Amino acid sequence: MLRTTLAGLLAHKVRLLLSTLAITLGVGFIVGTFVLTDSVDRGVAVTFAKSADKVDAAVLPREADEPVTPQTLDAIRRVPGVTAVHGMVKGDAPLLGRDGRAVGDFPTVGLSVPQGPLLRYDVRRGRVPHGPSDVVLDQRTASRHGFAVGDTVTVLDPADRPHRFTVTGLIDVGIDPDANFQGAVGFDPATARRMTGAKGFTEVDVLGADAAALTTAAGAANRVLSGDALAAELTRENGADADVIRTGLLLFAFVAMLVSALVIYNTFSILITQRMREMALLRCVGATRRQVFRGVLAEAVVVGLVGSLLGLAAGALLGLGALAAINAAGAGLPSAGVVLTPLTIALALFVGIVVTVGAAVLPARAATRVAPVAALRAEQEPGGGRFRPGPLRLGVTALFGVGGLAITVFAAGFLEKGQVALFSVALGGTVLFLGVLALMPVLVGPLGRVAGAVPARFGGVPGRLAVANARRSPRRTATTTIALTVGVGLMSLFAVIAASSKEQTDRRLADQFPVDFQVSAQLGRDSDTARVPHALATALRARPELDAVTEHRWHETRIAGEERTVTAVTPSAWGTVVRPEFRAGSLAAFRSGTAIVDEETAKSLNLRTGSEIALRGKKGAETKVKVAGVFGGDTPLSGVVVPEPDFLGYFGPQDPSRIYAKVAEGADEDTARAVMEKELRPYPSVILGSSAEMKAELNKAIDMILMVFAGLLGLAILIALFGIANTLTLSVVERTRESALLRALGLTKRQLRRMLSLEALIMAVIGAATGVVLGIAFAWAATRAMTEEAAFAVPYAQIALFIALSAVAGTAASFLPSRRATKASIVESLTHD
Amino acid sequence: MTSTSAPQTHGGVGTAAPAVRAEGVSKVYGTGDAAVHALRGVDVAFDAGAFTAIMGPSGSGKSTLLHCLAGLDVVSGGRVFLGETDIGALNDRRLTLLRRERAGFVFQAFNLLPTLTAEQNILLPLDLAGRRVDRAWFDQVVATVGLRDRLRHRPAELSGGQQQRVACARALVARPEVIFADEPTGNLDSRAGAEVLGFLRASVRELGQTIVMVTHDPVAASYADRVVFLRDGRIVDELFDPVPASVLDRLAALEG
Repeated sequence: MLRTTLAGLLAHKVRLLLSTLAITLGVGFIVGTFVLTDSVDRGVAVTFAKSADKVDAAVLPREADEPVTPQTLDAIRRVPGVTAVHGMVKGDAPLLGRDGRAVGDFPTVGLSVPQGPLLRYDVRRGRVPHGPSDVVLDQRTASRHGFAVGDTVTVLDPADRPHRFTVTGLIDVGIDPDANFQGAVGFDPATARRMTGAKGFTEVDVLGADAAALTTAAGAANRVLSGDALAAELTRENGADADVIRTGLLLFAFVAMLVSALVIYNTFSILITQRMREMALLRCVGATRRQVFRGVLAEAVVVGLVGSLLGLAAGALLGLGALAAINAAGAGLPSAGVVLTPLTIALALFVGIVVTVGAAVLPARAATRVAPVAALRAEQEPGGGRFRPGPLRLGVTALFGVGGLAITVFAAGFLEKGQVALFSVALGGTVLFLGVLALMPVLVGPLGRVAGAVPARFGGVPGRLAVANARRSPRRTATTTIALTVGVGLMSLFAVIAASSKEQTDRRLADQFPVDFQVSAQLGRDSDTARVPHALATALRARPELDAVTEHRWHETRIAGEERTVTAVTPSAWGTVVRPEFRAGSLAAFRSGTAIVDEETAKSLNLRTGSEIALRGKKGAETKVKVAGVFGGDTPLSGVVVPEPDFLGYFGPQDPSRIYAKVAEGADEDTARAVMEKELRPYPSVILGSSAEMKAELNKAIDMILMVFAGLLGLAILIALFGIANTLTLSVVERTRESALLRALGLTKRQLRRMLSLEALIMAVIGAATGVVLGIAFAWAATRAMTEEAAFAVPYAQIALFIALSAVAGTAASFLPSRRATKASIVESLTHD
Repeated sequence: MTSTSAPQTHGGVGTAAPAVRAEGVSKVYGTGDAAVHALRGVDVAFDAGAFTAIMGPSGSGKSTLLHCLAGLDVVSGGRVFLGETDIGALNDRRLTLLRRERAGFVFQAFNLLPTLTAEQNILLPLDLAGRRVDRAWFDQVVATVGLRDRLRHRPAELSGGQQQRVACARALVARPEVIFADEPTGNLDSRAGAEVLGFLRASVRELGQTIVMVTHDPVAASYADRVVFLRDGRIVDELFDPVPASVLDRLAALEG
């Protein structure tokens, strides 16, 4: 039986090639993911090991917000045998750019850079800092902002006072995520403490010490790690990123494998149908059902094995390429060679073979049902005829269709907005998709007629034949098209959600927060220093080009034992710049001695209009305020909001955290911006944002994510297109004689090609359109499930583009089958089987 | 080798120009030692308005000759004329258009497209050529082949004889210069076969159609006006006004 199997495989090797490729692509994706992430992991581990190798021991605080104290550092220094100690300092130290303003949205990280053996950074240029006027820059920060060794730079201290330094060197900060993301400036340890205002040390590195004595000196608040243990810990912390990336990529790999499975299932189904006589003949000469079944599965194992091995090779290259591409883009991933673990190899083979065999089980069962007598019967059209859904199929369709719909409607309409509702929509979508999968053979008839309306009307005979051909084997067309539905459906889903998010942002900004400029401190700074001087607001108010200058203050305090934010805005902003939607109470009731709260706070503190809140003000004085209203919607306000005079009374004078301003009526936006920039000049660390910029940046970020998703889903779509090419090739083989007849009767080669490309186009359009409909529907459900009053926007142009691209790609998929069909000799095809 | 070289005037028209003619046609498959000479210099003409049968033992090249005459296959040497057109000079596209506009076909099997109804199958050559359908002619043809109540059926719903009659109707409805029939009754029982052959002969007698038919069945050949015999890729004999017995005699002589 094995010999028969192998002979069968060889005879059909071209027909199996495309399904092998489908597996290759899917497995390649998985392998590529593992190779990439494993290589990054290994690189991280190697780098940290190298870095930690320089220390004998490290003392780390048990709580991140309680750093190692200077006293402990002194104690460690006094431990016998200790030859070198470095108390590592890390904190905000905003570097000013050449324009005199702090660089980046986040402040640069100030680091301590020791001399001698405990230096863990690579010095790329110049030397380490020696004194209070020396600084080294992270090499990428330096190149991005145009600084070189010997330049003078300004860095702000915690009170935002400028200090001037000479750049003595450039360092490589390695894979410290903060320093990489925010940029870094390095000082000698004493200067670093002064410039960052750090009260303690994030880590103390030690050379030459007795572990026990060190533990005693470090005290209970800290732990002591050996160099190796430190490397392991750093690797673990930083490897989490790779895990997230791996999980994300594997989700897309799963989609690709699902599509591959559909393609393989279809290939085997078609091949079995075409080989009905062969199967029957085997049965005639005495093969048992079990032998036939095993024979087909053995073919699947070989196909899966070959596909997986190719996928393994392709994946290794893919991972290598991705690593190179990411590094070329400047990510600076540590490199320690490409890692292909035995686990990856085992997983690739396992997944590839299991998916292939799994997809071939149903066709193999169909093969066993071939009666021996079929070998003797007159040939009939394989897989053709009208499709009549059986009771099982109708039942499955009804169950999954209605069930999926019910879950979705319930989740989108009745569940509380949030993650649970969103996941329920996803579940509903999956279930409904299974229903569509079962129903698809029934749908391709009518859908084919719709998708083929134009070709049938204007495509002449080739068009009419293409429509008829696309509809003649409903199962085959259904499986082929649904493979495309998966990819295009997810694409549409993401596209609609992206467009809706943009719409949501626009609407929110326009309705609830109509300002043009926002002034704030750099992001990620401690709340104490993350303020903007009140004097700036006063200066801005004096400018006629600006209007509605609003100060936004907040203060962290404890209410009912929990950390809460109390907020206030300039009184004139109410109803103009700030327009909260009241769920209860009203703005009119919001007077001195009252507060309004957002829904989340109201719920968690069980507050209603009329409830009382006890606010702990300065010097611990407690004041009772009455709740005048509960507001919802997306406003910049959150927590407990009190009138501004009250706020200043409770907590004392305090600078605002943000200042907003509008362009005055009649003023020019560019002029207004120039005014803003001029007034901001005395305050180098505050950053100016405009709502237009914010919108543009957010849209860019959303587009970026969408592009990445599109790229990752591209593979699933590509596999589905292989599926179309595959089905068409098999159909062409099956219709060899029919094509020859048409050619004899006067169908030109070009018309034959057009007929096949139209058939592919119709299949692609059926698949894509189904995907688009499902995608839009579930994007709607998902946006409804996410938030109340969610915006819903369909990017019609994009969606039309998806369908058009699918149609074009489908047409392209008909290239090989067309070549095969047109190259066939009429006479041979007419006279031979 | 007997040959009757009387000028033939069967089937009415008998014009000087033949509908199809082959001049020194040869056909070789493969090259070198593996070369197979299917036709070795065939000279033959088929008069317009006549029903000619091509016969010969298996491997004599009769099907190859038909394919070459119909422009389905390319000759290795010699020339084929359909009317005044040298079809060897045509590229694939022109050849296809020539088949579409000037030739009709009836094959042994797989004559019809399974996705089209009988009517659509009949009109297929006209549709391909983008020609208008002459409804009166269509009705007449359909009535002659007796398919009026089967027009909406698909091939799977028709009997073998009905399918061949649809194929004949398709060949006729475009009024081609020549109909090429390759074993049109090979798959039919004798009754259905007789129907189809009778219908083909009627189209020649009554409608002036030209038909060239390959067959191995002496009874089928007896419906023709003339039989051309092939052996080893050469025309070796011909017979006018055949009856089954005379055809059998000639065949026996060839085999012997």
